[in-house]
Amino acid sequence: MTVSRLHPSSFQSGRTRPLVGSVGHLAIFLWSLGIVLLTPLRGGFIFACLCVVFLSLLYPFALRRILRPRWLILLGVLLVVSVLFGSGEPDLQVWGMPVSTENVISGIQMTLRAVVILLAADGLAASMDITEVAGLFERAGLQGLGFSLGVAANMLPNLRQSSMNAWHSLRMRGGMRAQWWRGLQLLLLTVLTNALRRSEDIVLAAEARAFRPDRSRAVPIRIGRMDWWLVGAGFVSLLGVSLFIRAFVR
Amino acid sequence: MKFTTRQLVTMAVFGALWGVVEISLGSVLHAIKIPLTGLALSTIGLLVALIGRLFVPKRGSTFFIGVIATVLKLFSIGNIVIGPMIGILAEALVAELILDIFPKPTRLAFVLSIAGAALWTLIQPFVTGLLIFGRELLPIWLDTLDLGSRLFGLSSQAALWIVLALIILHLSVGALGGWLAWSLGHLVSLRLGGHSPEAV
Repeated sequence: MTVSRLHPSSFQSGRTRPLVGSVGHLAIFLWSLGIVLLTPLRGGFIFACLCVVFLSLLYPFALRRILRPRWLILLGVLLVVSVLFGSGEPDLQVWGMPVSTENVISGIQMTLRAVVILLAADGLAASMDITEVAGLFERAGLQGLGFSLGVAANMLPNLRQSSMNAWHSLRMRGGMRAQWWRGLQLLLLTVLTNALRRSEDIVLAAEARAFRPDRSRAVPIRIGRMDWWLVGAGFVSLLGVSLFIRAFVR
Repeated sequence: MKFTTRQLVTMAVFGALWGVVEISLGSVLHAIKIPLTGLALSTIGLLVALIGRLFVPKRGSTFFIGVIATVLKLFSIGNIVIGPMIGILAEALVAELILDIFPKPTRLAFVLSIAGAALWTLIQPFVTGLLIFGRELLPIWLDTLDLGSRLFGLSSQAALWIVLALIILHLSVGALGGWLAWSLGHLVSLRLGGHSPEAV
């Protein structure tokens, strides 16, 4: 797995500061969630469509991923389930099956909502570095998270490998046949003990370098030139959408 | 929340272990479509997180471990994972809140916290379905009843019994996880140095 996947930074135009930084990507993610949550299922169609277009232009890689068969099948299933099991009264016949127009419209809107969330989440995950996410959490009060995440991300491949080794050695010795329950306990014990022993080395290494969580610098966050504009525009548009819905949709 | 270097590293270890469970086991279980995958994953993940709580018996440590697991899951390749991410965070938060009621870690606190968090997996489809995906509650309710009737062999008309059985199942599995977490945590600490984790 790629834990520290670096952002493709398709929006970098200047040499020093990108056009859209971490704050901007987070604002776009929250804005998309806000639009989806604010708008009612019936009547929110146009907003969801706008969101899909905007996010597709911003994160084309996320759109390409959604267009893979696996996701298309999942979204199709969501649509079919909503059409068949919705609460609307049937008023159409499609291939001999009674179908409700209301259910079809709700199904399409539900699928659109899912697409918006998938695009926004994928775009955020691919555009931000893992350390930047840690930096954001640190600023929200989880001090030392950046350091812990760094340790966790570096340990992940080793942990997976040592877990697999423990699993294979246990199985080869027949540990999961006669007393599988005890075998599972032993597996967990081995994995946990190995991991904690390794953590001892990491603590010593960090302390040898005079690392102290209370004295460490917060993980820097990329702030793009458009970030604060995006935050402002997102806030204003959310306010506008909620006023519009109050006035015309509900 | 202020932690020492040792505590941060210990929480990183347990967060990474929860992450491994979610990324490896989670992908396999979701791929083969086993029922109650969420319950199994949350119980195993929380079991790991609560053993971590024994080694870092401070307020906020379980939530901290959950945040690490969430971020690792966010950056795992190939999947868009908003549901599991909300699940991990919410479970860690529920477990943390229940643990915080008790002045120090006890077996009862462990049992109650994993049981409470396991119950969240039953509630989560309603919350995310309604709030995020805008689904109507009826199809989610029907899915839940269908799952319950297939699991327990009850008629889908017996909605109350199905829901009751599902709640009892979730609470029991969670409680078993909590019981195991307490025992395993002490076994691990004995292996490491022969003293109880609270003294670490």
